Amino acid sequence: MIRGTITVETEICKGCELCIGACPQESIQLSDRINTIGYRYALLAKDNCTGCVNCALVCPEGAITVYRQKKSSAKAAPVAAAAK
Amino acid sequence: MIVHDDEPRLMKGNEAMAEAAIRAGLQAYFGYPITPQSEVLEYLTVEAPKRNFVVLQAESELAAINMVFGAAGAGARVMTSSSSPGISLMQEGLSYMASAQLPALVVNVNRGGPGLGTIQPSQSDYFQATKGGGHGDYHLLVLAPSSVQEMADFVFDGFRLADEYRTPVMILADGALGQMMEKVALPKAGSLPFTPKPWATTGKLEGHDRNIITSLFIQPEKMEQVNLQLQEKYKRAQKEVRFEAFHVEDAEILLVAFGLAARISQKALEMARERGIKVGLLRPITLYPFPSKVISNLVENVASVLVVEMNAGQMVEDVRLAVNGRRPVSFKGRMGGMIPSPDEVVHEIELIAEQHRVVQV
Repeated sequence: MIRGTITVETEICKGCELCIGACPQESIQLSDRINTIGYRYALLAKDNCTGCVNCALVCPEGAITVYRQKKSSAKAAPVAAAAK
Repeated sequence: MIVHDDEPRLMKGNEAMAEAAIRAGLQAYFGYPITPQSEVLEYLTVEAPKRNFVVLQAESELAAINMVFGAAGAGARVMTSSSSPGISLMQEGLSYMASAQLPALVVNVNRGGPGLGTIQPSQSDYFQATKGGGHGDYHLLVLAPSSVQEMADFVFDGFRLADEYRTPVMILADGALGQMMEKVALPKAGSLPFTPKPWATTGKLEGHDRNIITSLFIQPEKMEQVNLQLQEKYKRAQKEVRFEAFHVEDAEILLVAFGLAARISQKALEMARERGIKVGLLRPITLYPFPSKVISNLVENVASVLVVEMNAGQMVEDVRLAVNGRRPVSFKGRMGGMIPSPDEVVHEIELIAEQHRVVQV
């Protein structure tokens, strides 16, 4: 099973919500806070991201980075991360 | 005639507008940042040193429009852009420029109001844009784009109209069009000629009269003459009316919408036609001069008219004037930065279609 997560460059995000529509897991929503240009930005609200990359592909601003991690065993994950 | 690049680019509406302005021969830009329009100033600031034109971030919108006033008086191809609250601050300068008959391009990337409002898209500045906005009997010529392509093209059209009619021209866009990224084939540089401006204050030559740029005409007889000139100009500008019509030939319900609302209405039109309701769409491209005659002619063949806007109902008044009581005119709008969905518009269309059927029975 693959576990994913995303980071959003909140200062670039204009809150267009395309990623929210593209996410099959419904794990993205808009923040309650606003960035310096005044937009509510996208953020990962649920812990069920599969790393499918849909959000990053539709983002017109290129503001989303997706990270994937193989979840073979609970022990292996942090080791792999540390080796990097 | 505008010639376009062969290769399209993916650009934000605001950036496309800024790039088009440079290609249209922009000589000076004065502005002040405001979301959702700031990218125009940002883009031009980066390009200015490389491409030889003036960009200045003024201390306020009020200062910016008066710098535009000065540059236009000196005959420069000049532009400013802002969003709703900033455009309100510019109204005094716009009235002065209309009176002094100076060409300039003003872009309003409309956001939700009133007041400082929100930064989300709106069309609530329709009245302000088309009815004059500032004091005195004047109008701006107003163009309403509905795509990033038109944001770029209308910069060329705007400068052309401004020079031809010696008047400030406004592009009335909205926050979504400004921020939206779309494919755009940019107009080629050099395809907009510079016309001579013998009235400009560029230095008095020996044996020539002194050119004076002013909006102060103390004698009422003279002021009336200026007003008559302006009115004659607006009458002449009626030939610039532009619009786009979709499926109006067999339409029973006519949608009228401009800008972003027209794109939403176009989607709603397709959905309604799939459900067997004959809907047509008229999109005014010039909001002033308004395509009243076109609407007046079209309305003879339809049962009902629905106006869709992102405001509390502004253009609907001009549509009602054109329809002149011959057909029912209803209105669907969202306010304060909210965008109507195609489903909402289709629902409204279905209600009208239902009523119409009842009346026929």
